[in-house]
Parts: sequence; structure tokens; C-alpha cells
Amino acid sequence: MNGRSPSSSWRGWAFIGFPLTIILVFTALPTVAGVALSFFEWGGGDKPRFIALDNYQAAMTRDPQLWLAMRNTLVFAIGTVPVTVVLAFLVAVALHARWFVGKTLARTLFFLPTVMSIVAVGFVWQWMLNPRTGLLNVIVAGQGADLPDWLGDSWLGLGTMMFVQVWRNLGFCVVLYVAALGRVPRSMYDAASVDGAGSWRATWHITWPAVRPMTAFLVITGTIWALQVFDLDVVMNGWNPQRFNDLLNTHIFREFKNGRLGYSATIGVFVLVLTAMVTYAQLRWLRLSKATAA
Amino acid sequence: MSRRTHPPLIVRITLHIAVYAGALTMVLPVAWIVSTSLKSHHDAISAVPTLLPAGPPSEWQWHNYAQAWTIAQFGDFYRNSLLVAGVVTVLSVAYNALAGFAFAKMRFRGRNIAFGLMLATMLLPFQVYFIFAYVLCGWLGYVDHLQALIVPFLASAFGIFYMRQSIITVPDSLLDAGRIDGLSDFELFWHIVVPLVRPALGALAIFTFMASWNNFFWPLIVIDSTDNFTLPLAVNRLTSDYFTPSPPIRMAAAIILIIPTVGVYLIFERSFVKGLTLTGVKG
Repeated sequence: MNGRSPSSSWRGWAFIGFPLTIILVFTALPTVAGVALSFFEWGGGDKPRFIALDNYQAAMTRDPQLWLAMRNTLVFAIGTVPVTVVLAFLVAVALHARWFVGKTLARTLFFLPTVMSIVAVGFVWQWMLNPRTGLLNVIVAGQGADLPDWLGDSWLGLGTMMFVQVWRNLGFCVVLYVAALGRVPRSMYDAASVDGAGSWRATWHITWPAVRPMTAFLVITGTIWALQVFDLDVVMNGWNPQRFNDLLNTHIFREFKNGRLGYSATIGVFVLVLTAMVTYAQLRWLRLSKATAA
Repeated sequence: MSRRTHPPLIVRITLHIAVYAGALTMVLPVAWIVSTSLKSHHDAISAVPTLLPAGPPSEWQWHNYAQAWTIAQFGDFYRNSLLVAGVVTVLSVAYNALAGFAFAKMRFRGRNIAFGLMLATMLLPFQVYFIFAYVLCGWLGYVDHLQALIVPFLASAFGIFYMRQSIITVPDSLLDAGRIDGLSDFELFWHIVVPLVRPALGALAIFTFMASWNNFFWPLIVIDSTDNFTLPLAVNRLTSDYFTPSPPIRMAAAIILIIPTVGVYLIFERSFVKGLTLTGVKG
């Protein structure tokens, strides 16, 4: 169907050989090695010692911090992804409407956080939420009031991280939704307006289903990113010791830095399995298996 | 074209207010650090913060930027970051486009297997492979060198997938005509495909530049010497316990860090959105 070069030829490999090698060598191969490492004890310099399932047993029975981090990470993903996607859809619909004034300006403003380095994001929010001089405290509570510790090691601290996650990803989703809306044929709406459907009903019954593939893309990639979030935690909370609002990846990298490479690989496998399960469930739920099997 | 009926005026006004309130939430925190970066140390940490720096713009503390630049030795780090992001952007867009073309428009042995394998790598969490990616870079002699920030990023599954989705929309008839004229596969790519998918190439280039420039975690692991720091590492260092300049200087440093990506986005905004609209994930 695509192209006419004979399918028995190897010529395409001249085009994909190098890029594919880079991708496999720097991701697939190290993943296989990482999974293998989860059955070893290794400090980095010494010789790895095979310990079979000991790391897994330790993770299941002797590491309460892991389960705390797992819970927090799930809360983080469930609490950020749907909010981001739905908000982005609503904003994009408004920006796509003919009557909206200042489309480009609004779109650009929404996208601003997305292009910022995560290091700058950390600076921004630590400064905004600074208990003494933070703008938020001035706006919300005025002078001298007793204010919560937004960045504390608490549910509130986790909530703050979730808010910042939505803040920095919303624009990305808005721009992709605006792009997807641009590809919905006008004729679909014309048919609806002939039938007398109002804007709200058209949005719900025509626009939302029409951009379903984009929604699926954003939900799936957003969930993968949320389950693997790490740099946000580092720039907002630093390399703290074990915390109440630990995330899975913070836990992994702490073990890594403490020279427990085998064990950190084991938790990495947990993340891998979790990611695969959630992605599979979402694909099933979105009934996309057919649509994506191009 | 039949006209869609507009919602009532009150609804339109409410939606404008809601959207711009959201946009303000996006921008206000950034505006706040711009303002802080132009204040004196005393004003910045005052218990009664003011929205704008004191005095007319001519009296704002513009020298904070010069000071941040000097304190953090940004000259060297800017060079490192530009070198890495520049090389990665140019080469990876080229490799991704070539591979995307092959996956979209050429038939060859093992194509579907190679494509599936490549897509599957998009699911792999960094947390599982970073350990041996690091070990591998050690073997190759890349650790603590800029190569470690360049070579692994010369191709990306996301980029190839994106280019494949874009190129697949190029009509086969155009390529067939080229083949009849005796063009080689590479010539088809260069003379027919590239001009048609230019917006997608532009969008991918912008995306790649930003990802490379903002890359933080991998450099944090793989680069030790200050000489080879990229800008995010250098700015991050300003928060460490032993080296913390005053808030206005730090905020000026953060602004210096984000200027290139914000600038690139503002300049190429239209072509970026156009590139996403014409192609990419089907919507």
C-alpha cells in the first residue's frame, strides 16, 4: 500500500539503521540489563552478587516507604491527569470558537509554563509560596496571618506538587487540542446546526467524540509522565530524606544514590509493570486497540 | 458555508473571563519572578512585597542580570547548552525524518517488527534504564563529557513516530511520479517529502530544542565537572546550601535560563501550531 519498493528489499534499513540502533542501545538494551540487575545485589564498583528474588522479597515485606511512595504516586497521577485533560479541552474549545478574542495571545500565555526549564519552575513556585515573602500569601491572606506550609511534607505539600504539575502541563494539552480541533471537519457542525443543536450540545456530542484519539493520546502519555515524575519533586522539595509525600521515583533515586543499585532496579521494575498495566487498561478502556494498531 | 450560531453574549463574556483568568494563573508566577529579579535585595525580601520594583523603570535593578551572569559564570554554560541543544536538534530531526520516511513510504524486510519495537521503547521508564545507560556511557568514555548529552539523543522514538505520521499523509502518487523520473529513495525524500512536511519538521525542531535545552535529570547524573555543566545544572546549583546568592540574583538567573526557549517559542509559535495542526497524532 505505502510505497512501491519491493518488500523483499533491505534498502529501508539504510534509513532506519542508525536511529534504531541509537534508540535500542540507549533504552531497550539498558532496560533488559536493568531488569536483570533487579535479581542482583550491586554497589556499582564491586562484582554483582546474584540473590534471586531477595530484592523483591525485601520490597514486598520490608520497605513500607515503597508503599507510601506507590500510594502517593497513584494519587498524583489520578489527581492530575483527568483535571489537566478536561481543563485543556474546555480551554481549547473556547480558543477554537470564532468569537473568541485574542486566541493567539491566550494560547501563548497558556503555553508559557510548558517551555520553561523545570529548574525555573522550582524557583518560581518556591518563591511564590515562600511563607514570608510569597505573593500567594500576600494575595490570599494579607499581612501577618498564619499560613499553611504549602511546600511541607504533608498532604498539602503533595497537593501543591499536583497543582504545579497541572500548571506546567496544561498549555501543552491545550495546544494539542487546538491542533486536533482544527482538523475536525466543519461539515460535522453544519449538520448539527441544521438539526438545531446548540453550542453546548454540539461540544458534548460532536467535538468531544471527534477529538477522542487526541484525548486518548493525552491521557496515556500524561499518565506515563505522571507515574514517572521526578524532577518536579527534586526542584520543589530537594533531596530530602524519606518523606511522607515521597514519590516512587524519588525513592528509586535515593536508593541509587545510596549505592543500592540492584534494589533501585527492582523498584524500577515495579514502575515498569505499573506503567504497562495502567497503559494496557487505558487502551482497553478507551477501546483503542483497533484504532492504534495502524 | 453555513454559519454556526454563537452562544449568548453573557456566556461569551463569562468564557472570556474564565479563560483569561486561567491564562493569568499561568503567567502571574513568571511575572512575579521577573519583578523580583529587578528589585533590590531589601525590597525583594520585604514583608510587604510590592507588585512592581520601586521607582521608574530606569531605577530598577537591571544590574542584577549582569551580576547573575557573572556570579554563575553563565558565559561558559550558555556555550555548552547551545552546543548540545544545537547539535541534537539538527541531527536528530534529520535522522528522525529519514527513519519516519522509511517507515511511512518504503517497504522492506522487518519494517513492521522494527516499527513495533521502536514504539514499545516509548513505554520504557527512564527509572529502569538509566542505570545501564550510565554504565554504557562510561564504557564509551562519555561520562562527564558533552557527548553523553548528545549521542543518546540523536534519535527518538517519539520523533520518528511523529515524522512517520506526518509523511504518511504525502500522496503516494507524487512519489510514484518521482520514481518514474528515476529519483532514488533519498532524492524522493529530499525533493518531494521534505518540502511538503516542512511545518512538521519545524514543530519537531522546536520541540527537540526545548527538550534538549531543558534536560535536567540526565545531565545531573552524568555530568560532574562544572566545566561541562549545562545551564539548568548551573542555575540549579544556585539553590545549593553552600552557594546561595540573594533572591533577586537567583530570579535573574532563572529568567536568563528560560529566555532562549521562551524566545524560540514566541518567534516560531505560528509555525509550531501549524505543524501540529497539519500532522501528528490524528485528531
